[in-house]
Amino acid sequence: MRRLLLALALVLAASPASAERLVTQVSQDEVSITSSFAGQTLTLFGAIEPDVGAEQRFVEGPYHAIITITGPLQNRVARRKTNQFGIWLNTSQAEFERFPSFYQVLSDAPLSNITDPITLAEKEIPLDSQARYTAKAGWWDATVFGAELTRLMQQKGFFKLNENGVVFRSDTFYFAQVALPSDAPPGPYLAHTYLIKNGKVIAEKSDGFSVRKIGFERFLGQAARTQPLLYGLVCVALALFTGWLGGVVFKR
Amino acid sequence: MQVYLPIAELSMNLFFLVGIGGAVGFLSGLFGVGGGFLLTPLLIFSGVPSSVAVASVTGQVVAASTSGALSYYRRGQIDLHMAMYLVLSGVLGAFGGVATFQVLRAAGQLDLVISLGFLILLGFVGTLMLIEAARAIMKRRAGIVVREKLPNQHNWFHGLPWRVRFKKSRLYISVIPVLALGVAIGFVGSLLGIGGGFILVPALVYILRMPGNMVIGTSLLQVVAMMAATTILHAVSSQSVDILLAFCLMVGGTVGAQFGASAGKYLRGEQLRALLAILVLAVAIRFGISLVMTPGDVYSTAVIGASGVI
Repeated sequence: MRRLLLALALVLAASPASAERLVTQVSQDEVSITSSFAGQTLTLFGAIEPDVGAEQRFVEGPYHAIITITGPLQNRVARRKTNQFGIWLNTSQAEFERFPSFYQVLSDAPLSNITDPITLAEKEIPLDSQARYTAKAGWWDATVFGAELTRLMQQKGFFKLNENGVVFRSDTFYFAQVALPSDAPPGPYLAHTYLIKNGKVIAEKSDGFSVRKIGFERFLGQAARTQPLLYGLVCVALALFTGWLGGVVFKR
Repeated sequence: MQVYLPIAELSMNLFFLVGIGGAVGFLSGLFGVGGGFLLTPLLIFSGVPSSVAVASVTGQVVAASTSGALSYYRRGQIDLHMAMYLVLSGVLGAFGGVATFQVLRAAGQLDLVISLGFLILLGFVGTLMLIEAARAIMKRRAGIVVREKLPNQHNWFHGLPWRVRFKKSRLYISVIPVLALGVAIGFVGSLLGIGGGFILVPALVYILRMPGNMVIGTSLLQVVAMMAATTILHAVSSQSVDILLAFCLMVGGTVGAQFGASAGKYLRGEQLRALLAILVLAVAIRFGISLVMTPGDVYSTAVIGASGVI
């Protein structure tokens, strides 16, 4: 939420001095998880235009774009196993509050070529920055566990850096494709675009979309959460019925 | 065909789920056990979060044991009086088990305790079963006619206070060992996601000295009632019962169990027990290896608290 508000504030307070305006669009506002959901690819489009009221009637590149896609936030814990008395068990851990369950960074060139590390860190763009500002632990644990958590999230395919993810079709028009995996966490997503010229962020834009379970899956997920007792009773009734039916069908 | 599991929040192959349900159902029909002790590990090893696996398998065990319990009931081979004591204490144990489950999950030690629990329990029971079955097979080879032990020998704990007459089982024993047994099975069963039939049956025979014709039916009824209660408890406390996952397993399980039961007629009792013992030991060893071997990754991560907060 903090980040969302920050992003909104930045968008609203976009400096009037910049001559460029970013127009963006996500191909879908809503991704539906159905029973046969096997992931989905979203396309993000963007065009760079002269700002409203700007004196210059055209824009001049070259531009670079970095898009970050942040999934629903969760409280997460990273744990380390050590060998105690011959068996491996979790002995230490660090918690991360409001850690994104999904985070992808897309750009049209290597990040280091686009802008300097300070700007990247300020905007909290690199993958490992996510762990840094959500850690509840001390500095050392936050660094060690944060790095490992980022690595684990990358392994699971939830965190990704794609430095050729954004394709400029002309000087002022680009598109980017994001593949949501089949186990993409349901919830609100935020696509934040940074437009960069000569290493400086000159415009930002946020677009939201949501990944939702629909139909039966949504119904089940909600029922389990809001009516747990009834849900449990239905599970048991279903089990008793299935068992009874199996006995009847096969014993004739 | 992929099917999205709404509580586990991942897609799995429908045929794979029905398939393992069927395979385990076959074995459970063959050996006359619930099959939870095989299904829970299989699901965990195939990527289902252990909390969801444990909670959903309890639902499947209910289905797997229902048809058996019904047919034993029709034949009058259930001691309802004894079952009542076992179920009531079992539900009490299940409360404890589910509460412990929650605490362990929050502390990040659930996987460890599940692995250790399976290792110790299955290792112990499997070894005992294997020794017993091997002896029976040897005796048969040697041509000794084995006579079933009479159930009327009493142990010291049968004489504890609060003696109750169980008419159907022809027992007049203290309820303390009965209740203790129920609590223990309820606790372990709800913590590990197993019905506990493979512990309860030997316990009823060797500890309570229940007559053989009553044992299976009574144990099945106890498993149905206790696992039903556990399913509800898990649904309420951890909300990790995946009804779709459980249903896929149930369908496979009930069908597989029927084939297993008919296949069981071609094997002799002690051979069946030896095979079951080997199976149980194999699962125990698998858990043991996973505990002792250096893990591929010493770091792991998990979501804590409610998922999907903004």
